[in-house]
Amino acid sequence: MEQKRISVKICVGTACFVQGGADLLLYEDFLDPELLGLCDIEGTSCLGGCKTDDPKWKAPLVEIAGVLYPNVTKQRLAELLREAVDA
Amino acid sequence: MLEINNQYTLMKRRIDAEVLKAYFADTLEAVVDTLPIHIIPRERDPNRCCVYKERAMVRYRIMALLGVDIDRDDDEYKPLARYVGEALSAEVQPLPTLTTITPGCSGCPDEQYRITDSCRGCFARPCLANCPKDAIVFTNGRARIVEERCIKCGKCLDVCPFHAVIHVPVPCEASCPVGAVHKNDEGFVEIDHEACIDCGHCAQSCPFGAIAERSSLIHVARMLKEKVPVVAMVAPAIEGQFPGSLAQIKAGLVALGFTKVVEVAEGAHVTALHEAREVAERMEAHAGFMTTSCCPAYMELVDRHIPSLSARRSTALSPMAYTARQCHDQMPDAKLVFIGPCIAKKVEARKIPSISMVITFAELAALFVARDIDIKEIAAQEASDSSLYADCRGFACPQGVSQSVLRRSDKPVQTMNINGVDKKTVRLMRSWEKRPPEVDLVEVMCCEGGCMAGPGVVVNPKIAMRLRQGADVARVGTIPLGGKKHV
Repeated sequence: MEQKRISVKICVGTACFVQGGADLLLYEDFLDPELLGLCDIEGTSCLGGCKTDDPKWKAPLVEIAGVLYPNVTKQRLAELLREAVDA
Repeated sequence: MLEINNQYTLMKRRIDAEVLKAYFADTLEAVVDTLPIHIIPRERDPNRCCVYKERAMVRYRIMALLGVDIDRDDDEYKPLARYVGEALSAEVQPLPTLTTITPGCSGCPDEQYRITDSCRGCFARPCLANCPKDAIVFTNGRARIVEERCIKCGKCLDVCPFHAVIHVPVPCEASCPVGAVHKNDEGFVEIDHEACIDCGHCAQSCPFGAIAERSSLIHVARMLKEKVPVVAMVAPAIEGQFPGSLAQIKAGLVALGFTKVVEVAEGAHVTALHEAREVAERMEAHAGFMTTSCCPAYMELVDRHIPSLSARRSTALSPMAYTARQCHDQMPDAKLVFIGPCIAKKVEARKIPSISMVITFAELAALFVARDIDIKEIAAQEASDSSLYADCRGFACPQGVSQSVLRRSDKPVQTMNINGVDKKTVRLMRSWEKRPPEVDLVEVMCCEGGCMAGPGVVVNPKIAMRLRQGADVARVGTIPLGGKKHV
């Protein structure tokens, strides 16, 4: 059975980019190749989530299969993608 | 050295942005004393012992941002609002640049080699055989290091087949190329400012964030807010630091309120021309090698520690100095702000009266965030003709300076590069008095990876390099890093 590919959008708006988002763009370096093979990853314009005053919504943001996640680190991105692939 | 973006540097950037937001909203003095609570809410899962310690460290970070010399002027009774008032009336770049936050210092144990439980007490005993000081003894069938005899050469670590030897460094001390950082009698970090060359390596390597650089960001913010004419002189390393082209970054700076943006690569062209001419003269006179003079930490290193190299340095001024001269001639009434990846530039700039302030790319990033300027979406500034100096943007990268000199030289100049200065490199450079390198030009960069990896950068050089080569930021992750030559 063909597994559905997961669309991953890393915010590269300036606020996300300078607060850790740029490091996420090194995904080829730190993600498991198996995960890489199942995901379509690209940078995207500001996703808007950082504009709220809610302390939970901190840059950098990543959208995975249509769901927005704040405060994403390299480790967190790897976890989130693993969850998305296993789901 | 730690990664460029870690919990601490990201926190620093966030604090900078919050302070600036409040400053531009005219509420800074009212909210600054509660900012630590806002930034570290009670629910936070703390990285230090508790949220209260984290808040105290945020307070110190804000003081460093305001340019306070925490070593000397830390007054716990004084509200931050009063520090803000004082900071805003200051006119010059604060020196010394680096300051220590003793309450943040973990007081790491002295550097040591230690043998762990993984020691199998083997028959061959390579640790014992290789120790030059007989510091290894065996008790109960296990190796042990006699502290008094150990000279920390690390030979035992290299030869143990079970990786049973560990090296525990003091990160700040280990990173300092000149031994200016040490622990005081109480066991906390102290910087010997007479010996310090302001390379910033200690601040980059302390995992507790106990060494901070005193910033001029608030002064630059004030210039922008008061709309005085101010020129941004951007270092060649800026390309690749933000998610857009160089022309977009320039447009972003204008949107921040800078009257004009000038590339320091223009001054780098003058530096390279001067060095090409000078190296040719030296070659004709068989005067031996010459070193570059654009790295300010290297200049301080020679002034303070390696006098034998004083006359070896090129007499060319730094790209920043030439650019400042040019800007000052064209706009004598404007204030000049240098924006770069470097801490030592803050010291150099104090010697050039026309330069008002120096801020880093990381601090510029906080300005962009605070003013909600998105480099990715901004319309690019119209490009002027840069063909004369475009190649000098390479000054930011290892070998970039020597290549720019080579391109301006009609002689076959032999070059050599010092890519990053540490204790070992300093020993090597000291030996040049007796054994000079057999080349014509030595390019020296104190940071390994060049200015692109300086203490004030925002972006991992791997990503920055791809962006400098013209990669689209949305697709940059998929592009493999090509060849070794980057200009």
